[in-house]
Amino acid sequence: MILQAKEISKSFGGVRAVQNVSIGVPEKSIFALIGPNGAGKSTLLNLLSGLYQPDAGSLHFEQTSLIGLPAHRRVRLGIARTFQKIRLFKQLTLLENVLAGFHIHQDVPLWKYLVYGDAGRFREEARSLLAFIGLEARSGERAGALPYGQQRMLEIARALATRPRLFMLDEPAAGLNAAEVEFLLQRLEELGRRGITVVVVEHNMDLVMNVAHRVFVMDHGEALFEGTPREVQSNPAVIAAYLGGEFAA
Amino acid sequence: MSARIVYFLLSILVVAALPWLITTPYWRGILVLCAMNVLLALSLNLVMGYAGQLNLGQSAFFGIGAYVSTLLVKSFGWNFWLAALAAVGAAGLLGLALAAFAARLRGHYLAIASLGFAVITYQVLVNWEKVTQGVRGIYGILPPVPNTTALFYLVAAIAVLVYALLDNLVRSPIGETLRAIREDEVSAASLGVNGALWKAFAFGLGAAIAGLAGVFYPGLVGTLVPDAFNIVESFTMMAMVIVGGMGTMIGPVVGAVVLTFLPELLRGFGELRLMIYGIALTLVVLFMPGGMVQAWMTLRARIR
Repeated sequence: MILQAKEISKSFGGVRAVQNVSIGVPEKSIFALIGPNGAGKSTLLNLLSGLYQPDAGSLHFEQTSLIGLPAHRRVRLGIARTFQKIRLFKQLTLLENVLAGFHIHQDVPLWKYLVYGDAGRFREEARSLLAFIGLEARSGERAGALPYGQQRMLEIARALATRPRLFMLDEPAAGLNAAEVEFLLQRLEELGRRGITVVVVEHNMDLVMNVAHRVFVMDHGEALFEGTPREVQSNPAVIAAYLGGEFAA
Repeated sequence: MSARIVYFLLSILVVAALPWLITTPYWRGILVLCAMNVLLALSLNLVMGYAGQLNLGQSAFFGIGAYVSTLLVKSFGWNFWLAALAAVGAAGLLGLALAAFAARLRGHYLAIASLGFAVITYQVLVNWEKVTQGVRGIYGILPPVPNTTALFYLVAAIAVLVYALLDNLVRSPIGETLRAIREDEVSAASLGVNGALWKAFAFGLGAAIAGLAGVFYPGLVGTLVPDAFNIVESFTMMAMVIVGGMGTMIGPVVGAVVLTFLPELLRGFGELRLMIYGIALTLVVLFMPGGMVQAWMTLRARIR
């Protein structure tokens, strides 16, 4: 397991967003996190990425405990993420957005930047990341000017610049059209082939069923079921959670 | 790249020629003030334009630079340059202290906290009479060089150097990091950026540069009173940055030059002077929200 959470909980005021959830993400797998609206998927992702700290429970990335570690420190361990609500640097160009992602790999001393200026070290790699999402030709445009679907892809390229071993995506297919979803699916599979562990929170069942090796289902802040996509599709508890109580019995 | 060097050399030539074009002592004094204002605008722009932190405390660092260097020379007999170094260090350290607020506060809240910081510094300068002489002021301060022209060359050379270094900095990956914090701090953290650390870097460096400008101010005017570092100065610096073009390198320089000379050129209007100045500021902000540099680029694009 590359990522292991044991009985983690998080409450906001009186609302128990995540309750005693235990989850293990196998290395080099594509792991989907699904559940109805308000099930606590995004909160769980925020706990894993360090945006929130859990109230209780343990959390390990390989052997390293993540408890108390802020988000920016977790990135250095090899954990990257994207956001449900797109958070690009809108005023910066596509290339600058991706270049900002190389922050943790900068090892040039400060004074050299002051005296010699930019050495342009990561430009090539940034361009190849833009090519990976099919946006190389637009590298000089402002990120805020991109169509919605491409903004989502740019956020993926930017996060990949940190060279993650565990990559978590919060609803990457939200607002994408069918062709864009297809492209996203391809790219996620490619990341899986490159040996990156992918955790994806998603509503788009087609995408989940096609791409995921394991599916983790949440409901009302708790773990409901975990299994292969096929097992999830035929599990009565999952079906009940999605269709609502009145169809359950 | 080569165009950059050409512009750089050209600007050095212009700076070198200025004292030949402007010959009266009064206007040469204004030239020194202008070079100082360029330094101040550059320092604030690093914090506000690049790192995106609303900072109204910059006048405090200007004052710290002036008072620490002058007192070390006058009361302790230090060598001017050594005193200048200590003053820059002191301003930088205080900048780090203000950055501690910036680690927790954002936007308007940070603006208020930094304003409070400037007010406290001003009050200390006024009330700690044993050390600062309070409102009575310190008199008979000599510049580190023999005359105003030499002082201009000195401060202008420092301003050009600081510009070149900052220009390199903001083009480097550190520039991307600072702008990432400005655009979205949560997002920057998701890329491994320690926001508190880099904001402290911007505040510390910005404060040190403002302190450096302050070091030369007492020698120019010959006296040192707290009023020169009133919080109004923070707003003037902010106006320079915004009028010129926040978040660009050349913008604040343009803003500093315009807002140094405009009030002087309006002296002929007597009582109406400040009103015209205020209206001009309002119009610029209203019709050129990106500042003069942005307006110029838009205009040039339209003509082509």
